[in-house]
Amino acid sequence: MGNFENNISLEFDRFNNNSADSWISSHRADTFGKFKSLGVPKLTDEDWRFTNLADFSSKSYSLNNKASDIFDKRLIPEILKDIDGHFIILVNGKLVEYSSDNFQVHDLSKMLQEDECSFKNLIKGSFSDKNQDFSFFLNSAFLDRGCFIEIDSSINVEKPIVILNFFDSNAEMSLVNHRNIISISTSSSVKIIEYSFAVNDIDYFSNKSTFFYLNDNSKVEHLSIDDGSKNSNIFSNIKIMQGRDSNFTTDTILIGGKLFRNNVHPILNGEGSNSNVLGLYLSKDSQLMDNYMFVEHAKAHCDSRQLYKGLLNDDSKGVFHGRILVHNEAQKTDAKQTNRNLLLSNTAQVDTKPQLEIYADDVKCTHGATTGQIDKEALYYLRARGINEDLARIMMIRSFTEEVLEFISDDILLGLHKKVVERWFVESNLISGD
Amino acid sequence: MLEIVNLHAKIEDKEILKGLTLKIDKGEVHSIMGPNGSGKSTLASILAGKEDYEITEGDIIFNGESILEMSPEERAQEGVFLAFQYPIEIPGVSNSYFLREALNSIRKSKGKDPLKPVEFIKIAKEKIKDLKMNESLLNRSLNEGFSGGEKKRNEILQMSILDPMMAILDETDSGLDIDALQIVADGVNALKNDEKSFLVITHYQRLLNYIVPDYVHVLVSGRIVKSGDKSLALELESKGYSWLEG
Repeated sequence: MGNFENNISLEFDRFNNNSADSWISSHRADTFGKFKSLGVPKLTDEDWRFTNLADFSSKSYSLNNKASDIFDKRLIPEILKDIDGHFIILVNGKLVEYSSDNFQVHDLSKMLQEDECSFKNLIKGSFSDKNQDFSFFLNSAFLDRGCFIEIDSSINVEKPIVILNFFDSNAEMSLVNHRNIISISTSSSVKIIEYSFAVNDIDYFSNKSTFFYLNDNSKVEHLSIDDGSKNSNIFSNIKIMQGRDSNFTTDTILIGGKLFRNNVHPILNGEGSNSNVLGLYLSKDSQLMDNYMFVEHAKAHCDSRQLYKGLLNDDSKGVFHGRILVHNEAQKTDAKQTNRNLLLSNTAQVDTKPQLEIYADDVKCTHGATTGQIDKEALYYLRARGINEDLARIMMIRSFTEEVLEFISDDILLGLHKKVVERWFVESNLISGD
Repeated sequence: MLEIVNLHAKIEDKEILKGLTLKIDKGEVHSIMGPNGSGKSTLASILAGKEDYEITEGDIIFNGESILEMSPEERAQEGVFLAFQYPIEIPGVSNSYFLREALNSIRKSKGKDPLKPVEFIKIAKEKIKDLKMNESLLNRSLNEGFSGGEKKRNEILQMSILDPMMAILDETDSGLDIDALQIVADGVNALKNDEKSFLVITHYQRLLNYIVPDYVHVLVSGRIVKSGDKSLALELESKGYSWLEG
């Protein structure tokens, strides 16, 4: 066993040492066992062949046990300050503050302490163990933090719910493990913004999952922005269980992390449901951003759209793994996958791999991937109209990042997407800050 | 206004222009005709500042100054405009956003304040009406999915909004039917005045019935081999180019 696995086993024994015969304890032991049998993935693992975890697995992260009970509002990023929403704030995964309206917010830590039965019902058997990676099992084994948002039926949550996942200095050299669970009952709709960020350049291991349960006819628009520390290792699992006629859109923007593994896994588990899996990975320096999309069509008459775009600068590296699984009863599936990459330097690189597994015979599945640099002819055309080279370049880059916006209907989400991309342009010296 | 002096240019060791000399004064319309491969489009690209070519000899003087060292954007800001033979499709950049940025870039270079979106849209809508184009083309991605005729008309729309001093039309007529040709020509003629000059590059005489040139030049193998008035175009139409090729 490697350094990481040894260390995390010791951490687990400490974490799970009491109440050995409770359901939760055996559930933890069970999922940790599944992690151990998988181990930290190696390059020989087909799903990890482009992402080397050697550096990550040489580190000794201890389980985070220090979470503040307060959050200093001044730390809220500038681009979120104008947003009129219901803020839910987690520090190192621990819920510290929230506002609610026509929905309920629960603290997973409190549920675990005060109402183990509800906690058990919430997490048991939600997603099958099949097709999950090590981070998923670790997330379950160490789960004692996060929030649970519950929306009753026929409710429209007007303002967006803004979940802030903040990592403070106590997160340094620790595993921060948490899960945010959002359950939307029949015919309800909600907009969720998730924003993850950290203090300074601390080194931590974030293992976060966000689970969505969409009941029949419900609708979710989700914008996830991950601006973690540039020294962190981030593993994220976004999992979506969709009921009949449900409508889900996620737009995931990756900015932070030294290494980022972004797993997104919608299961279209009710007829007539629809899933839009959108994303933008903005990488620079020597960042590595690995996107593993897994769109699972379990029932008939469902549509899915994947549009993932990478903007890669400096020596950074991107990976797009686009898997579509169509089960044999999922007839009339319409699944489309597109991955586009724009390389801003000669040393940035991208690996892209589609993987289609189709067991139904009446389906429409397409995929396509492109990787290139800024089109010189197009640049010349813009310049020949009087537009300076720098502006012409940024016009083309900006338009590249805005293609996903046609799938987003909410103005606040649209505006935030644009702002966060513009901020990245400034941080990357693609445009000046004034 | 524009003086091309003994211009030699090559691309990847292939010499294309071999001593081209041409002088265009204020208010004049010149036409360059010539067979395929004579260097017509190369000349247009070089005038607009395309960087793929190497100028080995000669100069291009615009308003008394050499523009050889100027970038494409500087030339455009000085008032040079090229209507492209093959306009580029740029997905995601809307036509109106592009045009506004272009116009404001040129205004900025002249020390003028940028136009606000509403002010710009007003101007653009007037011009687009004059060119009998569909207003929805403003909101579409630049040239993306435009028909051949729409692309050419979009070039003329850009020209009329940017209002250049020296407009070069590179085979703007090719692929246009007579109705579209008339509209394009009307657009050009509306801009004509004593201050502005045009260089109309074409393969066919037909366009010159609509945009009447003061001078016609024949370009063969990178050199102007014959110049004359508009009757030369008619002569070329009936006799072809072979009698001028050496």
